[in-house]
Amino acid sequence: MPSYKLYYFHGRGRAEPARLMLAAAGLPYEDIRLEYEQWPEYKPKMPMGQAPVLEVDGTMICQSVAIARFVAKESGRAGKTNIEQAWADMMADGFVDMLNKMADYVWYEEDEARKAEKKKTFFDTTLPEFLGYFEKLLVANNGGGGFFVGDGLTHAEAFFLCLSDDIIAEKPNVLSPYPKLAALVERIKTYPGIKEWLAKRPQTPF
Amino acid sequence: MPAYKLTYFNARGRAEPIRLLFAAAGIKYEDVRIEGADWPALKPKTPMGYLPILEVDGATLCESTAIARFVAKRAGLVGKDDLQQAKADMIVDGMKDILKKLILMVLEKDEIKKEELKTDISEKTLPEFLSKYENLANPSGFFAGDSLSWADVDFYNLIERVRAMFPGDHLKGKPNLVKVMANVKANPGIAKWVKERPESAF
Repeated sequence: MPSYKLYYFHGRGRAEPARLMLAAAGLPYEDIRLEYEQWPEYKPKMPMGQAPVLEVDGTMICQSVAIARFVAKESGRAGKTNIEQAWADMMADGFVDMLNKMADYVWYEEDEARKAEKKKTFFDTTLPEFLGYFEKLLVANNGGGGFFVGDGLTHAEAFFLCLSDDIIAEKPNVLSPYPKLAALVERIKTYPGIKEWLAKRPQTPF
Repeated sequence: MPAYKLTYFNARGRAEPIRLLFAAAGIKYEDVRIEGADWPALKPKTPMGYLPILEVDGATLCESTAIARFVAKRAGLVGKDDLQQAKADMIVDGMKDILKKLILMVLEKDEIKKEELKTDISEKTLPEFLSKYENLANPSGFFAGDSLSWADVDFYNLIERVRAMFPGDHLKGKPNLVKVMANVKANPGIAKWVKERPESAF
């Protein structure tokens, strides 16, 4: 059994998809949450000077999607065929696109007027179009009563849950036009391992 | 023998890493390049509303990185075990940041802001990125393990794009990265494709 150490800050942020997949896999790991004051000491040790980083028996992997996919593979939850794996990958990348667009106005836009404008465009236009495609993709997988890919949870679900947490926090009924996606959120939340993690994870602002 | 059909615009853009991988592996595919005017009709038929898409084995894939990884798997260029594959993945993902900055700079219409972005890239972002990546490549010129992977090919493609916008010897003093470029260029399939590929503006 390899030893896993996940380095990040006090938050869900870009580490949470990996934490969700570790929970789904039932893999024990050290959930290291650094204070900002500690970061200058750790930064030079990280492969790209960024977090999250997963240390596996001393080997360091960075980039949140690479980490989540690696963890998913460890428990056979990355897709069963090359095509399924590619589908899980494309969906995870799609959710990260949306998370990045949110991050753009939440973290990187300082001008209040531009922030409000970007947020409006995101919720009025960008997100609905995106969710429309994903409702269709989910339904295309055997009617949409299961998961995005094949017949099991993959890292696609982990990224989807992180996105839906953030968008629902802003707009509680954002998924009502997308009933299959809304039902999937509940299925993920009650998935063995993930359910327990959600109940005990630290509550953090991001 | 599966049929592969890649659809994109008439450009290198986000499809080129995929085309390079097909070339490296000698895998035949249909290289479909659509006109801008044809895009609105095609868009709703794509999985997420954008290109490139790859049609294979009756399935349609999107997201250029996911497609590239899929082709790399079929070509035996993903890395030999889970950790090597994760290393290749992180190398590819790590390039998205600088690519995003390059695209923002290209799209910036305000000339003064554009110059500021250009300077920021050439004096800060690019040197920092290359320093990090020099340490992540090994002395044999590979990012994942000790043979060619899609991470090397993706890096080569990025540097070619950078050189087009920022002429100069950016890899001076970075022997590992110089070797990566040489390893990719030495691949006969890639060398042939680069010579014969259609000309396009970007």
